[in-house]
Amino acid sequence: MPSATLLGQALISGVLAGGLYGLLAMGLSLSWGLLRLVNLSHFALAFLAAYIVYELGTDYHIEPWWSAAMVVPAMFAIGTAQHWLFDRFKVNELGSLLMTFSFAIILEVAIQLYWTADFRRYETEYATRSIKAGPFYIPVLELTLCIVAAVLACGTWVWLRRTYVGKALRAAAEDPDIAAAYGVNHKKLAYLLSGIGAAYAGVAGTFIALIATLAPAQIWTYLGVVFAVVIIGRLGNPIGALLAGMLIGASESLAQAVLSPAWSPVVSFSVLIVILLWDPEWL
Amino acid sequence: MVVTASRDLPKLAAVIGIGVFALLPMARLPAFYDSFLYLVFFWISLSTSWTLLSGFAGYFSLGHAAFFGVGMYATAVMSAKFGVPFLFTLPVAAAIPALLAVGIGAIVFRLRRLRGELFALLTLAVTFVIATIILNTPIDGGGGIFMSAVPLPAIMPTPTGSIYALGFVLCVSTLAIAWKVAHSRLGMGLFAIHDDEDVAEAKGVPTFRYKIIAFALSAGIAGAVGGVHAMYVGFLTVSGTFDLTVPLYVVLMSVIGGSRSWFGPAIGAAFITTLLYAFISGGEALVGRALVGLILVVAILWLPDGVVPAVKKWLARWRGVTAKPPQAGVVPIEPVSLPISRPVGDRVLLQVRGASKRFGGLQALAGVDLDVHEGEILGLVGPNGSGKTTLINVISGFYPLSGGTIAVDGVEIGHVPAHEIARRGVARTYQIPRPFVNMTVLENVTLAATFGGPARPGAEIRAEALHWIAFTGLAGKEDVLPAGLNLHERKFLELARALAAKPKLLLLDEVLSGLNPAEVDNAIRLVRAIRAQGATIVFVEHLMRAVVELSDRIAVLNEGRLFALGAPREVMRDPGVVSIYLGKAYAA
Amino acid sequence: MIYPVGALRRRGVLAGMVGATATLGAPAIVRAAPSGKPVRVGGTLSLTGFLAQTAVIHKIASEMMVEEINGRNGLLGRPVEYILLDDQSKPETARSLYEKLITVDKVDLIQGPYATAPILAAMGVAQRYGKVMIQSSMGIPKLQTYDRAFPATPFGSEPNVTYPNVILDAMATFPTPPKTMVVLTSKFPSAQFMAQGMKEQAEKRGVKVLLYLEYESGNRDFGAIAARIKEANPDLLWVGSLGLESNLLLEALRKLDYSPKNSFHLYPAPGPLALSPDGDKALCSTFLEPDEPFMSRPGMKRLAAEFKEKATKANLPYSTIDAQACGMISEWQILEAAVNGAGSLDDEKIAAWLKKNRVTTVYGSMRFDGPYNHGDAAQLIKQVQNKEWKVVWPKEFAAPGVKLIAS
Repeated sequence: MPSATLLGQALISGVLAGGLYGLLAMGLSLSWGLLRLVNLSHFALAFLAAYIVYELGTDYHIEPWWSAAMVVPAMFAIGTAQHWLFDRFKVNELGSLLMTFSFAIILEVAIQLYWTADFRRYETEYATRSIKAGPFYIPVLELTLCIVAAVLACGTWVWLRRTYVGKALRAAAEDPDIAAAYGVNHKKLAYLLSGIGAAYAGVAGTFIALIATLAPAQIWTYLGVVFAVVIIGRLGNPIGALLAGMLIGASESLAQAVLSPAWSPVVSFSVLIVILLWDPEWL
Repeated sequence: MVVTASRDLPKLAAVIGIGVFALLPMARLPAFYDSFLYLVFFWISLSTSWTLLSGFAGYFSLGHAAFFGVGMYATAVMSAKFGVPFLFTLPVAAAIPALLAVGIGAIVFRLRRLRGELFALLTLAVTFVIATIILNTPIDGGGGIFMSAVPLPAIMPTPTGSIYALGFVLCVSTLAIAWKVAHSRLGMGLFAIHDDEDVAEAKGVPTFRYKIIAFALSAGIAGAVGGVHAMYVGFLTVSGTFDLTVPLYVVLMSVIGGSRSWFGPAIGAAFITTLLYAFISGGEALVGRALVGLILVVAILWLPDGVVPAVKKWLARWRGVTAKPPQAGVVPIEPVSLPISRPVGDRVLLQVRGASKRFGGLQALAGVDLDVHEGEILGLVGPNGSGKTTLINVISGFYPLSGGTIAVDGVEIGHVPAHEIARRGVARTYQIPRPFVNMTVLENVTLAATFGGPARPGAEIRAEALHWIAFTGLAGKEDVLPAGLNLHERKFLELARALAAKPKLLLLDEVLSGLNPAEVDNAIRLVRAIRAQGATIVFVEHLMRAVVELSDRIAVLNEGRLFALGAPREVMRDPGVVSIYLGKAYAA
Repeated sequence: MIYPVGALRRRGVLAGMVGATATLGAPAIVRAAPSGKPVRVGGTLSLTGFLAQTAVIHKIASEMMVEEINGRNGLLGRPVEYILLDDQSKPETARSLYEKLITVDKVDLIQGPYATAPILAAMGVAQRYGKVMIQSSMGIPKLQTYDRAFPATPFGSEPNVTYPNVILDAMATFPTPPKTMVVLTSKFPSAQFMAQGMKEQAEKRGVKVLLYLEYESGNRDFGAIAARIKEANPDLLWVGSLGLESNLLLEALRKLDYSPKNSFHLYPAPGPLALSPDGDKALCSTFLEPDEPFMSRPGMKRLAAEFKEKATKANLPYSTIDAQACGMISEWQILEAAVNGAGSLDDEKIAAWLKKNRVTTVYGSMRFDGPYNHGDAAQLIKQVQNKEWKVVWPKEFAAPGVKLIAS
């Protein structure tokens, strides 16, 4: 039987590691829920951002936080540019999935052409720092990630619930025609939202650069688990996405602490299946 | 009978094509061509099998790798670990995924909300779970399965030729199955499920069973294809088999070809497989891959519905067979030769006893008793939220009853699935018309006639559908899609669909709402004509003029209970009825 | 030179190869360029897809070697033409492309692809056409069941038995040899294969295996695994890792304020682990490093310099020649020696020659007459010392002054 310290530590690590799932899921969830666009290239954009942060950090010794300040607006611009295509060709949900799958292939190649397929690692002092709390250790980088993600999620949530623009967006998601009748300019808002979604990919990418493995094919490794997170967190709900990310992160981590670690995907995806079948009211 | 060249040419071409391809390995071409064509067949089979459920019925699956992978591992384990002859493993490789699909379907298809992206994600999750189980149990265990010692039966002169032959047989069989399905009741039902599952069920399509059949077929074919592919690849690993890009490519191929067509996926698969092999040289591999991505983006933007629909459209324009523009104005109703109104019979056709329906904390129906006599027109009125539409929904089987009984012709139907009720002669329309949007007017009505009425030969059904289209004044619009109809015409399409089922009991939900006065008159005449044909009608309506004019009796519902029942003018004069309509405060 | 030059020339003449005669009377150092119809050698690499990380290294090494061989005498006096295709990291593509190389392009010889799955797919094709296939990266020798498939890397026929003992021998020289260990491995077939062997051998030699854990290849978060390792606190942590998994694991351990007493890593990306602050003293498997005594091997200095130049030009983050690149170099050296030695492009003769002769490669002298055509095992141990990999075990392969350091 694993000790309480081990379980507690696994839980802390898992919840915090799940923050990255949540952060990646947020942008995806917004465009999927509110624009009915499934953006598979979200992951490729996040990795593109990560590579840029890596490049700026290793070659020009720019702190990742400053790099993020450059990368995030750039991603916003890419997101709106991408939305121009969706808008111009009136792409539907399925079309967006397939089109962005193809985008992701192109971005993967672009990354490989510039940075090669070889593994890249951005060494920073942040990667190994942690705070000791009783018998437990709280990794600083993941904690920062979760705080940033929580701020973004809550900010977005308030923006969607409380402001006129946000309400209009949600109204437009429910019924674009009626919203248009009330004078909501759905088109402009959609550009804004696509940009924000991509900007979140930029934020996630900054943390990916600091936390994870960089290799072009890695853009596909988060797809399954983040999709699960998006659905568990309910489409279009940023706070739900973050919490669901933490839930999946925690369940994976606990599974790794108790079972053979290789079984952990069964646990996280079983959580998804159970939630889909059970459909609890609190979600 | 005169044999027309244009009809038999495609058949002839298909037979020659199949013959040539079947004997190709005999020509002893360089093995690469056999091998490449095998891969084309492989992707055609896989994407066509995907389309059986996901393209036809619209249950978009991201889990095709699961079934394909289970088939691969079934063959690999049996042949490599237990020495079962390779060919004998293939039926098992098909059966296990098919059973798995039946199992998943039996749970998932009962939950109405698990459609669209939720179904896609569920199938994706199943893939990950299965992959992890195979990885961590002795099925694979992590070391992979090596098939080199498994003998391949010498069907053709070369080993690659033999694999080719197996792939080809599967490909042709898959296409034959897809063709057969697309041209059968099953296919018609699946297409209806794609457009509107609830309506399909109400029109008599056994949606649950059809979805299970389609899912099992889809998974079974994928499994058999996987079985052969295990032999082709020769060494299986979990990460290579359950690769996420497999379902993504399958979807891409089907959609680019046209996923509502039985041969669309084949075109997409052939196109993309060739494309992926166009850039294999070491020097240009990377740029080639980017180019593949770019071509795919352009293809999706340019042909959002796929190649097949685009070509069909183009052919139609080329032949000059364009749909006639919708006629303006009110559709005149041909004076149907009206037999004298038959008297209302004594026999009770619909008997409702203590019917109740509860949604969570809301009691929508709180014990309704109602008898409707054969040949009667019963008007069902009441304020908003009084339970009128819920009553229609429980009679037609959309909701199961929480309590009480409903019998049609003496047979209890309160807990019978909606399609069974439809077959017992109950048809309904929807307040907001819900036609199958991807089917023409004729196909919409034909479907209702096929599934609602008794089994008849196709020609008879078609004649009948045409009759009801003419009866409702939609003649000339047989080949128009519902999007090309105005509201009035769509309401009449609803009626035509209901009538084509030859119902004993017809439930009409606000057929008149949204129509202008001239159209209302038109519709009232039509309802009379329907009754004259012998149907019993229960209709929900807000428009009092029509209710009073049409009904033999009126039933008033309030707060889920039967509030009043009687002859139209008496009921409408009842002060209680007036008060619930105008509000209690006003009445007091 | 390392090749039996005289014999080659004689056979070249006998075979009537154009150009061979021209070199006969020439001084040994100045060689005429090979001439005549090129010998076409085909192969695939995973240039795109999830195995692409190392393909570019193999591609550079291959191109370098083709130049090198053509700069000498080519194959049988004829120049080599290398036809490289991209198998997209998929075994089914590898299979069809080898069929293309053999039946459509009609290459004279083939070279093996990279990684177990594509190699086995290609091996099936090679077997059907009787082609000799030399491969450098299949870590499970017993799967090499085809008698004309030859390894270019000296794993030996049972690396799962021999190599763990090399590690345990090295550990036994520590002041306090490890009594307990944790075996952690990715479920990548070749890594898992070695991990199971490590567990067995350790138990046989009385080292207690406290934990044996397998994680899914491509595992994202090592927090919980790190917590388990910390709790077990073994004397030796053995990790069957690939790519950056070791970096992520060591970072996760550091976050728990824990450094493993000794850690061994199987197939990590060499650059990032050497540079990692947590990588100091980490042990790892290797076959050679650009250091003495290896640099004294024939041609090695030049190859190392050339590789560095080309790798830098290709923007590779870690441009030092390593065992990965040398596997490909060895493949070409074996092919060159075997073709020229057999004096023929006939696969049967080439295979027969290889089974009877030794070839001197960058990995030293290799033989191919053991089980699964493997010869002697020569898997070594390297260690990160001052951010550089140094071979430390067996002692005779350690550079002068370099020692295995217990951490």
